[in-house]
Amino acid sequence: MSGTLIIPGDTIELGTESGETSIGPGITTNPKDQSIVYPSTAGLLKSISKRNKTIAYIEHNTKRYIPTIHDYVVGVVITVFGDGYRVSLANYSQPVVLSALGFPNATKKNRPHLKVGDVVYAIVSLVDRDVEVEIECIDPVTGKEGGFGQLNGGTLFDVKLAYARYLLFNSNAEILEAIVNKCQFEIAIGSNGKIWINTENVKTTVAAMNAIVESQQWKKEEIVKNVNKIFKDVL
Amino acid sequence: MFKGFEVSSNEQAFTLETLKSGIRFDGRKLEEMRDIDIRLGDEYGYVEVRLGNTKAIVRISAQLAVPFEDRPYEGIFQISTEISPMAGPMFEAGRQSIDEVLISRLVEKAVRRSGALDLESLCIIAGSRCWAVRADVHFLDYDGNFIDATCLAVMVGLSHFKKPDIAINGEEIVLFSTDQRDPVPLSVLHIPLCVTFAFYNPNDVEENIKGSSSGELILVDPTMKEEAQSLGSMTLTLNKNREICQISKAGGLPIDAPVIMDCCSIAYSIVERLTEKIKQLLKDDEAKRIDINVQRALSAANDR
Amino acid sequence: MSRFEIYSPEGLRVDGRRWNEIRRFECRINSHPTSSDGSSYVEQGNTKVLCLVQGPMEPALRSQSSTAQGSLIVNVSVTPFATVERNKRPRNDRRIQELSATLTRTFNKAIVLKNYPRSLIQVNLQVLALDGGLLAACTNATTLALMDAGISMYDYISSVTAGIFDGQTPLLDLNTIEENELGFLTVGVIGESEKLALLLMEDRVGMDSLEKVLAIAIAGSHRIRELMDIQVRNYGKHKVAKLANQ
Repeated sequence: MSGTLIIPGDTIELGTESGETSIGPGITTNPKDQSIVYPSTAGLLKSISKRNKTIAYIEHNTKRYIPTIHDYVVGVVITVFGDGYRVSLANYSQPVVLSALGFPNATKKNRPHLKVGDVVYAIVSLVDRDVEVEIECIDPVTGKEGGFGQLNGGTLFDVKLAYARYLLFNSNAEILEAIVNKCQFEIAIGSNGKIWINTENVKTTVAAMNAIVESQQWKKEEIVKNVNKIFKDVL
Repeated sequence: MFKGFEVSSNEQAFTLETLKSGIRFDGRKLEEMRDIDIRLGDEYGYVEVRLGNTKAIVRISAQLAVPFEDRPYEGIFQISTEISPMAGPMFEAGRQSIDEVLISRLVEKAVRRSGALDLESLCIIAGSRCWAVRADVHFLDYDGNFIDATCLAVMVGLSHFKKPDIAINGEEIVLFSTDQRDPVPLSVLHIPLCVTFAFYNPNDVEENIKGSSSGELILVDPTMKEEAQSLGSMTLTLNKNREICQISKAGGLPIDAPVIMDCCSIAYSIVERLTEKIKQLLKDDEAKRIDINVQRALSAANDR
Repeated sequence: MSRFEIYSPEGLRVDGRRWNEIRRFECRINSHPTSSDGSSYVEQGNTKVLCLVQGPMEPALRSQSSTAQGSLIVNVSVTPFATVERNKRPRNDRRIQELSATLTRTFNKAIVLKNYPRSLIQVNLQVLALDGGLLAACTNATTLALMDAGISMYDYISSVTAGIFDGQTPLLDLNTIEENELGFLTVGVIGESEKLALLLMEDRVGMDSLEKVLAIAIAGSHRIRELMDIQVRNYGKHKVAKLANQ
């Protein structure tokens, strides 16, 4: 995770040589002069370049999850009501709404039956300051299931938000590669810091879970060694 | 207590599976406590206890007071356990939830009712003057099992605390500062320590209540996640003289009487080990203080 | 030393009982047929408790309504004339709060709450006279009143106290004087089993004598269950007889 450390009040220069630069989370502009930008959170300044476009943002690590549109999230159903469910994305915060029609091919008559306590993998579909946040289990690109929906078996655990994003956007992250060598597993990573994991048996699940949680504090070189140790201890 | 802390049924089922195969998430055995870290402050009677990620501090203090009318020969001992939102988002400021009441009642029963502190030794002049000892417990971080941590912290604090020495001059009481006379320790009669058990039921409710088998799973020192998923808990308070000072199994999953006897012996071995640890810790602390005092005395002589 | 001889060398207690005798136990079911859905009156020695059950009914607050199971509320109030000193107890007395929380948690597991989704069952206990074994008497009264209200339960929960004298002799069903002098426990036993729904102990009891005290307490609870059962069945017979007359 490279990038320069930025603290609110710092001045940042956005490279303009590669054409247009868009600003992402953690950076705001001066309302009078759009060319002056300010950092609004502490974190690492990062940029991604894609087709002549650069996106600059500040990678920061907060504890509370604030839903953002198109985020992949793992949630727990906490209430069932007439035409939908209330889903908790993080402890001690407002639940979000999952409509009963927010599933592929769902109709008024044909819809999934979730119970309180069920786990779903979903995408944030509506964020507006005036209404409740909504999520749905449909891939917005294909309109199909696309891996979303109820997650059966396995278990849930929490990691830091930045780490969850890192794992989500780097499918070949070292820790995941290291666990692949140990056991087969299914994983669903939510930007809300919740991760669902399922492996062939309870012991490997506990090991994989502990490995991911603890890997937040590991150096890159230690990963393989530490994963080996955790798996050896549990089995 | 766990308002806002959501536990999915996947996790519930998974926890039962892991417990059935005898493992816990943090690699402990079922009847194993988390690591306990006790830190003593520079001043007498300041204790910081960490039980895994659960953290509490205790400050013991003493002042002169008038004894209660109905107990003229006894000093006053109070434990204040107020849980603020500092400990976790589920605790509300000001209003005490029923769980908090239970926690403070339990600590009170474990320490005060069992007579851990000799109240009669706190009496100075019968009916008019006595020591009022206060234990202020502050909860800093909550990851399950406040009771064990609190009880431990209060007991270490009481054993560590020293009150200023006094002399009685007729009706007058002379208080000596620590420089004038060495402070005197409280008379702690025994060290009660709590061990909390959490219960889980892998079978259905009917089997638990009507069945003859006792298949309930029991584990020691639950974390917050384990506490939220348990069906009931029991706190045993024992001291190393094989006395039970308090048992509290206020409802929850019905448990067979023989199983409770087993819990007693598990708790006793934990308490025995912990008491040893506390004694060693206090001894080391005392030795360190004497060392410093000797050094100070020597350096003062050199200055002159 | 206490002013009383708790257990004389001849084997008699302050009120003349032997070590294994419970106090006079009297109970009545359906004592208040008009004012509640279920009611009972229990006397254990001089401790007198009245219990009224309302429900299952629709809860007044949304927060008390759960789709998974019914909710249970237990209120305990001790009348000012219950003890010798007539002081008014504050409403938020922590001991009373603890008592009602204990009862709630005990009966949460004893009532088949999943049969009553979106409903509230409210138990109100009035302590008319207090002479030891408060929790035990409340538990017994609640069991009877819930039965009278026709609420599904897995089994009886019967409860009694027991203490230990001199680390030697277990004493069953203590009164206030004995409670103040001895280490004692309260058990709540499910039906005729040895499963404990409730176990509270205060003051010091030797670890090795716990088994003795528990054994006598469980036996005492079974006796109380029998006495309650007789009363419930008598009441049932009486009702059936009335029906037959029609």
